[in-house]
Amino acid sequence: MSANDVIIHIEGLGKTYDEGKETEVKALEDVNLDIYRGEIFGIIGLSGAGKSTLVRCINLLERPTAGRVFISGQEITGMDEADLRLARRKIGMIFQDFNLLEQVNALDNVCFPLRISGYTKLDAEKRAAELLDRVGLSGRAGAFPSQLSGGQKQRVAIARALASDPEVLLCDEAVSALDPTTTIQILELLQEINRELGVTIVMITHEMKVIEKICSRVAIIADSHIVESGNVSDVFRNPRTDAAKKLILPSGGVEPFDGNGRLLRLVFDGTTTDKPIVANMVLSCGEPVSIVAADTKQIDGKTFGQLIIQLPSGTGSAERMMAYLDSENITYTEETDV
Amino acid sequence: MFDSKFLGLIATGFLETVYMTVSASLISYIIGLPLGLFLSVSRPEGIAPNPGLNRFFGTVVNLLRSVPFVILLVAAIPLTRFVMGTSIGSSATIVPLVIASFPIVARSVEASASSVRHGVIEAAQSMGATNMQIITRVILREAVPSLITGAASSLITVLGFSAMAGVCGGGGLGSIVINYGYYRGETGIMYVLIVILVIMVQIIQEAGARLSVKADRNTKNNN
Ligand SMILES: Nc1ncnc2c1ncn2[C@@H]1O[C@H](COP(=O)(O)OP(=O)(O)O)[C@@H](O)[C@H]1O
Ligand SMILES: [Mg+2]
Repeated sequence: MSANDVIIHIEGLGKTYDEGKETEVKALEDVNLDIYRGEIFGIIGLSGAGKSTLVRCINLLERPTAGRVFISGQEITGMDEADLRLARRKIGMIFQDFNLLEQVNALDNVCFPLRISGYTKLDAEKRAAELLDRVGLSGRAGAFPSQLSGGQKQRVAIARALASDPEVLLCDEAVSALDPTTTIQILELLQEINRELGVTIVMITHEMKVIEKICSRVAIIADSHIVESGNVSDVFRNPRTDAAKKLILPSGGVEPFDGNGRLLRLVFDGTTTDKPIVANMVLSCGEPVSIVAADTKQIDGKTFGQLIIQLPSGTGSAERMMAYLDSENITYTEETDV
Repeated sequence: MFDSKFLGLIATGFLETVYMTVSASLISYIIGLPLGLFLSVSRPEGIAPNPGLNRFFGTVVNLLRSVPFVILLVAAIPLTRFVMGTSIGSSATIVPLVIASFPIVARSVEASASSVRHGVIEAAQSMGATNMQIITRVILREAVPSLITGAASSLITVLGFSAMAGVCGGGGLGSIVINYGYYRGETGIMYVLIVILVIMVQIIQEAGARLSVKADRNTKNNN
């Protein structure tokens, strides 16, 4: 993956629903994004932030009201219907509620994209069977969606999305309807597909754990704007915006115990988590701190820990503690308005 | 009263009723199925919104539906004569039956088609399906159980209309009721015919319900 091999290029993208009417909603505004070939790119945001609108503007299920979208160098926003249909075959999509045909079995669901692109019934069924095998459902070809679990349904949907050999797989909250164990299994399947087939994956989610688990880069979307983007570990280590902090902090915002003490957010990576930093700091400064929140995460195979502490409000003590952290090379940021 | 002449009369009436109901329903579906699909896809939230044509056909359908069948039966006589050469008999009755039934069929098909989950249609769009492919491979497939239920109730409506057509020389069981039960006051015959009609309706209803359940794969206890 070279840095200039952009597969999805989004430029000045905007979407306003019901433009000019009373019900007008600006769902996206001036979104600029480059997604690289072969990566798993996460887009995270709270409900209503505009995530679904953004991902649906990539394959034009939703027509943007401003800006342009390019896929593999081709401007998809400028295509006529016929070209758009061809382009869509190279962009798979999976959804939160699977959207399988309920009246046909798993095999015929996977056959659907093949049949509409001209495969004979026999060829389609052969390929569909291979795809079901690929997603670990070889025994369930004849099952109807109502007879499958959520995870199995999403596997059928993934097989269906892969049928036309897409370059890109768009996932809109693809694991949000699944229990934690199934979520992990589906995420691992997606990761495997990304690695083995080289399919670029765009993951839309409202859950940080999804991003941590499989994404290399992430964009944070809040109030119709991309407010922050970068490598997952960088954004995690140093979230700059309120929106990013809200999503990354263990329990959303935290409240200081009393109004005076300053809040520090400490981030440890795999190299420092072994040392009892806080204990040492308390011992060396001779004053207690309150732990407001604590959490550890696995990102890119490395363990990250984060801790939010409230410093004592006495004169000079906060400064002494920060000096201690500096001397230990611990990354920290002062939280003013968590 | 149950002599062979009478049985013959009932058998003929029954066959005429079946003939009228089935032919009128078939023709109504030939018109109403595409029309209903069009009404569904041309809605503002459909896959091919077309407010102008949607309103036009919607209005035609509503107007036809708001004319009571007995009135339509009489009003259609010139047209029936023009098309069939006569306005009497079971074949001629098919004309007003179709005029009254295709709008009902169209609305019923529209409702079935519109009940297909939008997400499934979007998934098809995301795979590059054309609107025609969506209609034939998504909407018509997913709506099958509901279309069957709709067909059963349309068939029952047409059956009812066909009996009413007896008033105007339409043939079938309705004519027998009018001629024997009403004009000659043979109430015994009338009750027999009522029982036959009720049984026919029950059979259609029951068959429709069973077929629909059997066709529906979206239920856990299937296969
Ligand atoms: N079809 C639509 N018509 C009008 N408003 C919409 C439509 N879809 C989404 N919106 C609005 O756009 C905003 C962003 O929605 P969405 O993209 O679905 O957010 P998310 O997926 O992040 O929850 C919300 O305010 C939502 O109400
Ligand atoms: Mg959404």
